[in-house]
Amino acid sequence: MNEQHIASAYDRDLEAIQAMIIRMGGLVESAILEGTRSLDTRDVELAEKVRREDAVIDDLEERINEECARVIALRAPVSKDLRIILAVIKLSGSLERVGDYAKNIAKRTTVLAELGQIPGTNTSLRRMAMDVQSMLKDTLDAFIARDAERAEQVILRDEDVDQLYNAMFREFLTHMMEDPRNITACMHLHFIAKNIERMGDLVTNMAEQVVYLTTGTLPDDDRPKKDRTAFAAPRK
Amino acid sequence: MDDLRLIERAVDMNETKISANGVQVYYGDNHAIKDVNVEIADKTVTAFIGPSGCGKSTFLRCLNRMNDTISVARVEGDIRIDGEDIYDKRVDPVQLRAKVGMVFQKPNPFPKSIYDNVAYGPKIHGLARNKAELDEIVERALRRAALWNEAKDRLQEPGTGLSGGQQQRLCIARAVATEPEVLLMDEPCSALDPIATAQVEELIDELRQSYSVVIVTHSMQQAARVSQMTAFFHLGNLVEYDETGTIFTNPSDPRTESYISGRIG
Repeated sequence: MNEQHIASAYDRDLEAIQAMIIRMGGLVESAILEGTRSLDTRDVELAEKVRREDAVIDDLEERINEECARVIALRAPVSKDLRIILAVIKLSGSLERVGDYAKNIAKRTTVLAELGQIPGTNTSLRRMAMDVQSMLKDTLDAFIARDAERAEQVILRDEDVDQLYNAMFREFLTHMMEDPRNITACMHLHFIAKNIERMGDLVTNMAEQVVYLTTGTLPDDDRPKKDRTAFAAPRK
Repeated sequence: MDDLRLIERAVDMNETKISANGVQVYYGDNHAIKDVNVEIADKTVTAFIGPSGCGKSTFLRCLNRMNDTISVARVEGDIRIDGEDIYDKRVDPVQLRAKVGMVFQKPNPFPKSIYDNVAYGPKIHGLARNKAELDEIVERALRRAALWNEAKDRLQEPGTGLSGGQQQRLCIARAVATEPEVLLMDEPCSALDPIATAQVEELIDELRQSYSVVIVTHSMQQAARVSQMTAFFHLGNLVEYDETGTIFTNPSDPRTESYISGRIG
């Protein structure tokens, strides 16, 4: 099959839109890493940088949506081109949300910098963040390569993130029961862990979009769900 | 920070090629064009859209004085190309039409060979001193019209023997052979199939590097695909004139909105 349109300007527009997604993805990846690093080292300046740079991510989302609207209006895309546009709109929306969660981590870092450390949490949060960042990287790679298989692998990996979150949830409960002075820090840290867990879900959605873009159908929703904290209750 | 591909797409409205001010056209008692003001940029594809009888073709034909040939037509107002009034008494309409080429709805090659179709204009305007120069002009024009590869081995065959899409590209080659500065196209694809249409549209996009192209089209989708600027005509008025993306995603006049979304027409 010929990959190129007769109208070369159409190809340029589609390529430009996809390049913007990749750029946005790169910025979100570093927001995840820098957000958690700022938390790790209680680096308020770095946290401030992450908060500031979220504006660039938001702008990109807007630009991508404008460009997609333009292509729909001017080119009436069909088939694979239509799926590219639909997937890109959803990808940019998810990326923007992931960026917001990273920014929220940075915000909480400024508060946490004033509070005592909770032992053991930094390592787990860092591990979760790195897992999510690497899932995001693989999703974007799969997007470029139109590799549904690699995207399917990402979807399965969300399970690990969920399990890390479950473990942290229990740990925070323990710390808070042990000493009420830990509550403020633990509440913030718990939101951070939850943010990262949500990022994992969003990246999973993105991977599903890549599968849709490549194959034309969404993957079956039978992946194992491991976030059981919704059912957590104090032992009687 | 913007993607290079998107920067290249931008329209430079600072270089005006054609400017029309207070243009009125009457066919006898019928007031066909009502006070149209428009600035058409150089190196840009400008599309005129609107329902049948809205005046878009009439206005296009003012730009190379094709309306002179209609006895009841009367054109008032001021139309300038590169600042020169084209309705000035000293302007020779034949010279003007060499500078402002035109391609019509139905491909209309002369009943001559492919070569002669393209060579005719340059010959009568004395653009070639000898056969070698003429050969060069013909080749350049056919290449520009993306027809050279298909036509180079059959230059002496009649132009009418080509397929519809090829004939239309031959007409474009004929129009560009006289090195015009403006290319007017009146429904250039309405007689072509979708693939030939796409090829001609791609050609129009390439011609934009060298010319100011003005295209009249019934197909809003075609205007959306090929043009950078779009003008919407309705009942002889120029209702809205703006960047094509803006016209098709967020037009400012409710009449434009109704027409492009298929609610009036």
